[in-house]
Amino acid sequence: MSTNEPNTNASPPGTRGADAMQTLAGRLSACMQCGTCTGSCANSESMDITPRHLWRLVQLGLKDCIFDSATFWICSSCYYCTLRCPRGLPLTDAMGELKRIAVAEGLFRDRTSPLFYRTFLDTVRRYGRVREMEVMARYFLALRSPAVSAGFTPLGIKLLMKGKIKPRIPGMSGRGKLGPIYDKVREMEARS
Amino acid sequence: MKEKIGSALIVGAGISGIRSALDLAEMNYHVILIDRAPHIGGTLRQLDRQFPDDHCGMCKMLPLVDRDAASQYCLRKGLFHENIDIMLSTDLVSLEGEPGRFQATLRFKPSLVDPGRCMGCGECARVCPVEIPDEFNAGLTLRKAVYLPVPHNIPNHYVVDEAACIRCGECQKVCPTEAIDLKLESRRAFRILVVDDELVVRDSIKEWLEDEGFSVDMAESGVEAVEKLGKREYGLMLLDVKMPGMDGVQVLKAARDMRPELPVMMMTAYATVETAVEAIKMGARDYLMKPFDIEKLVSIVVQYYQDTESIPERRVDVGAVILAAGFESSDAGLVKDTYGYGQLPNVVTSIEFERLLSGTGPSQGKLLRPADGRPAEKIAWLQCVGSRNLHLNADYCSSICCMYSIKEALLAKKHNGGNVDASIFYMDMRTFGKDFQRYRDRAQQEHGVKFIRSRVHSVEPGASNGSLSIVYSDPAGTVCQEEFDMVVLATGQKAPRGTSALAEVAGVELNPWGFCRVSDFSLTRTSRDGVFVSGSFSGLRDVSESLIQAGSASLCASALLHSKGGELAEVAHERYPVREVSREMPLTALAVCSCGEILERAAGLSGIVETLQKAGLVSEVFRFDRLCTRSDWEDLRKKTESTRCNRVLIGACLPYVYGKKLKELSRSAGLATSLMDVVDIRTPAFPGLDGDKRSVSRHILTAIEMALARLRGVDSLSPVHTEVIRKALVVGGGIAGMTAALAIADHGFHVDLVERSPQLGGNLRTLHRTIEGSSPRDLLERTLSRIEKHPLLTVHMNARVVHSQGRVGRFLTTLEKEDGRGEAIEHGVCILATGGKEAAPRSYCYGDSEAIVTQHELEGMFREGVLDPSRLGIVAMIQCVDSREEGRNYCSRVCCVSALKNALYLKERNPDTDVYILYRDMMTYGFLETYYTQARRAGVIFIRYDLEDRPAVEVIDGRLKVSVLDTVLGRQIILEPGLLVLSTGIVPAEHVREAEVFGLSINEDGFLMEAESKWRPVDFMRQGVFLCGLAHSPRSITESIAMAEAAAQRALGLLCRRELPIGSTVAEVRQSLCSLCERCIAACPYGARWRNEEEDRIEVDQPACQGCGSCAAVCPNGASVILGFRDQQILAVIDAALEQVGG
Repeated sequence: MSTNEPNTNASPPGTRGADAMQTLAGRLSACMQCGTCTGSCANSESMDITPRHLWRLVQLGLKDCIFDSATFWICSSCYYCTLRCPRGLPLTDAMGELKRIAVAEGLFRDRTSPLFYRTFLDTVRRYGRVREMEVMARYFLALRSPAVSAGFTPLGIKLLMKGKIKPRIPGMSGRGKLGPIYDKVREMEARS
Repeated sequence: MKEKIGSALIVGAGISGIRSALDLAEMNYHVILIDRAPHIGGTLRQLDRQFPDDHCGMCKMLPLVDRDAASQYCLRKGLFHENIDIMLSTDLVSLEGEPGRFQATLRFKPSLVDPGRCMGCGECARVCPVEIPDEFNAGLTLRKAVYLPVPHNIPNHYVVDEAACIRCGECQKVCPTEAIDLKLESRRAFRILVVDDELVVRDSIKEWLEDEGFSVDMAESGVEAVEKLGKREYGLMLLDVKMPGMDGVQVLKAARDMRPELPVMMMTAYATVETAVEAIKMGARDYLMKPFDIEKLVSIVVQYYQDTESIPERRVDVGAVILAAGFESSDAGLVKDTYGYGQLPNVVTSIEFERLLSGTGPSQGKLLRPADGRPAEKIAWLQCVGSRNLHLNADYCSSICCMYSIKEALLAKKHNGGNVDASIFYMDMRTFGKDFQRYRDRAQQEHGVKFIRSRVHSVEPGASNGSLSIVYSDPAGTVCQEEFDMVVLATGQKAPRGTSALAEVAGVELNPWGFCRVSDFSLTRTSRDGVFVSGSFSGLRDVSESLIQAGSASLCASALLHSKGGELAEVAHERYPVREVSREMPLTALAVCSCGEILERAAGLSGIVETLQKAGLVSEVFRFDRLCTRSDWEDLRKKTESTRCNRVLIGACLPYVYGKKLKELSRSAGLATSLMDVVDIRTPAFPGLDGDKRSVSRHILTAIEMALARLRGVDSLSPVHTEVIRKALVVGGGIAGMTAALAIADHGFHVDLVERSPQLGGNLRTLHRTIEGSSPRDLLERTLSRIEKHPLLTVHMNARVVHSQGRVGRFLTTLEKEDGRGEAIEHGVCILATGGKEAAPRSYCYGDSEAIVTQHELEGMFREGVLDPSRLGIVAMIQCVDSREEGRNYCSRVCCVSALKNALYLKERNPDTDVYILYRDMMTYGFLETYYTQARRAGVIFIRYDLEDRPAVEVIDGRLKVSVLDTVLGRQIILEPGLLVLSTGIVPAEHVREAEVFGLSINEDGFLMEAESKWRPVDFMRQGVFLCGLAHSPRSITESIAMAEAAAQRALGLLCRRELPIGSTVAEVRQSLCSLCERCIAACPYGARWRNEEEDRIEVDQPACQGCGSCAAVCPNGASVILGFRDQQILAVIDAALEQVGG
């Protein structure tokens, strides 16, 4: 099958990415495009394509279009769609799976979201908890884009004023203790 | 010698149960019709209107042949038939024996109100202090604990809802006829021993149970318990497991020795459950887990109490059993967290909405919002609530909701003068039945109902007071928000409560969704021989399909009864001599019943009788105290035998129960039944009505006088009896025709089966297998071999019907054979099963390439093995080819299933085949939905297209290119399939000739037109001619078989009689006044009139005449009269109503 746009970056058959996409398409094959997920989605307004659109692309195996979109990065894992899907499909899990595939294969149009996820997880790994100030500082550094960082300044000041983030660095009783979990996950992912 | 058991038991008195009961009763079998509820009519009692005509029409089910055997009024109010015993509040508790000789045990739920005494005055409900939601109005109104289950039933008796009753005894005190007995004494006599070492437990149980009217003793230790058991009789012991000293198990042992029959229920905490289970093995009945749920405890105790009470049980011998237990609406509460049902009062279920529209509903038929009584102007319907939902184990479509939602939207518009904005939110609009698609199109185009393809996920409170907000994603993906006054949840169907228990009792298997499982190629045969299923109990269906299935079930039952020797009865209408009184002066004997002393006291009955005698209106008077008793009735019978009077009027209560009795009286007195009548003189004296003695007396006098006036004017009928030719003609030798022919022949009547082609079998020959995996070829072979062997079947191959004359019961039809020879056949009934076939495609380049085939052709390839599924890369299927758009604007119902079947077969043979199905709405109704889910799971890709953007097919150098707009992605998808399969649907056979020969109508799509789409699906307006199969509308093999059986059943209702009985109310022509204008012929809705050219007169086919009076109304000369309703007679009745003898 083909669409009117050429299918440029589909993984060659037999690679891990293609398998993962096929498995995912299999898990979502019962979707009948009713749109409950899209209607339920709290973030759908910020998405470039709706969740229903995304699942349709997954069903049809249009990998280039899927990873051209930022929709799955915007999913905040609220599980509304999973709860409400009349077919009982694991939609939130599927969003996560897409994120994983995107990172594993470097399939992203915009590096901000993967960078944020990575910085966030690194901080958690290092300290056993989130330290907002540090996450953001590392994130901005990694972005290497003063303009983006500057754009967040008003929000940062507002949050500081309201005491939502604190300049004081919290204690680090859990430091390094999450390392083995991360290692195990990596090991499991490599196997799958 | 085998004993004949010519009777059947029908469980469930909804419309399918009623249909089956009437079918069997018309064949003169005795029928026991039971229902768990205290009323008949099932769900239909709550629904006022059905599409397509948006009226009721339930009465159209009443017998057309032997009309006088059944009550002839609104079937929603009640049913009386000579051969049907209706038992309400009754359960089937065991079913033993073998097909043809079952012993069924029925248990009656005591209603605490004696229906023989209750006269429906309503005093009890007036004083009852309890108020609970009323089921009849789906909980929108309140009722008392003593109530009328259906407000308009005849007869209407109050019943006590034992669960809600608080046993205050007020109703018992005020009941004027002492009909209520709450059995407070026997509850008090039921003594319960509560044994527990904890005071608080003992005390609270005592309090709860004493509130329920039971007597309670307490024991704080095992020793004390044993002591008390020695002193007194107990009905039940509640026993704690863990007690210091003598524990529960030890007490149980002692109790088993002392009083082995005493039921013991263990009470246990979680820690000692195992001990409790042990105790059950030692003879305890059950255990209750602490902490207790009051309601559960009380209901269990009440159950024990009721078991000890002498609950009347009745054992009946029946030959066959039909289960018609119906369905239940799926619980809207299950999805309440998202749809707000129960929290937002303006979110209602479809049943509640039907009640809101009903004249007997909470707002007398005004469409008002339940929350604030303001008119609802903007209403949304949400489809698939509780259906097509895997979370609720509902991987099925409820089949009916799409159509009823459209109907409700149209009714809502009609109610508010068109000022209702109606939106229906749906996934697939399943308009798969005959004329459904056009109904939908009319709703959309002419009435402006909005159809929005989107599944709504939740309903939330809106901005203004009481309004509701819906957020949904439109087909283009835009998220929209809209506010509505009211939201109707189109709740689906599920198996009714108690189904598994009933299945166990009846010994039948259930399917994975809890409905009754049926055998291959049958909608009615269960896993137990002799037990059949009817209506929605085996899956979800609408009125007409329920009735078809009910007909099929009654056919199976009657075939069994017949084969077991319960021969078709034919005695009911033997004639007996009656006096010829037309030349005598009318002399009336009046028999009055004073109902004990009541009528004397309330109305001065003697005075009334004297007045009538003085006025010379009655020649003889017989007085009785209680005519309802056998002795008084015998007395009356003797008196009428020797009377010189030629009319008998009975003044009593409940006139409708006298049908059979009057026939008895007519026989013994030698007077025609038309010369007898019963008038209700009891109702005017009901308490609660105007109690003034003079006015009551005047009412009764008027009622009697009117009845006398009517009776005086009766002309005694000398009916012309039509002898039935007890043979059938079946036209069409497909599966429907063959099934119908065999069904009739199996009942011992000769059948001529006419097929125009050189072989029998029709479409069955081209089908490979069904989606369930059964083989149509095996079915064909089985059927053919039965036809060959059947001694009563004559098959006429290569023959056509060319002429037919005659009327119901006596037809003479001419066949034309292949060689041009004619053959005349006499028959009493005729079944048309002329069939249909797959339509030839006109579009999508069909014919331009060998790779473009129809679904039938694809099946043919599978069957012949000429297609190698492992070598097909891509297969595309296009649904709704040339159909569901003008030209052929109907759904062919089978094509979606065929496509799924073939797609699944391709995937099964080679999972790597890419199958694309291009569809508009997937019509996988009922349990077929599960195959849709399977196909999706198997990786078949479904692409929906709109009529405006239909797929484009090109053949370029022998290669196919299909492009279609994917509405979700909003872009063209291009497929290059190796095979393109077109689902073209079904067109009817060329049966214009047959329709002309039998005087039948054809609809705009060429299908034969039935008498009434909902209530008489297999009848024609022309009596004695029936239809089935594809000639009616597209349907599957199994559905065709069921319909053929239903048609055969209707035909057998006529064939089983030697003579056609004539109703007492029929039309007659007074030839001297008739000007032969023929208006009456056009007006007659039953085709019961024709012009006799030879004698130049208008004739009435009296067996077919239903006495509706249309002819009398249109006749300009008063030449057409209805016997029993002549002008003079009616005027005399009116006079009697207005002027009164004795002032």
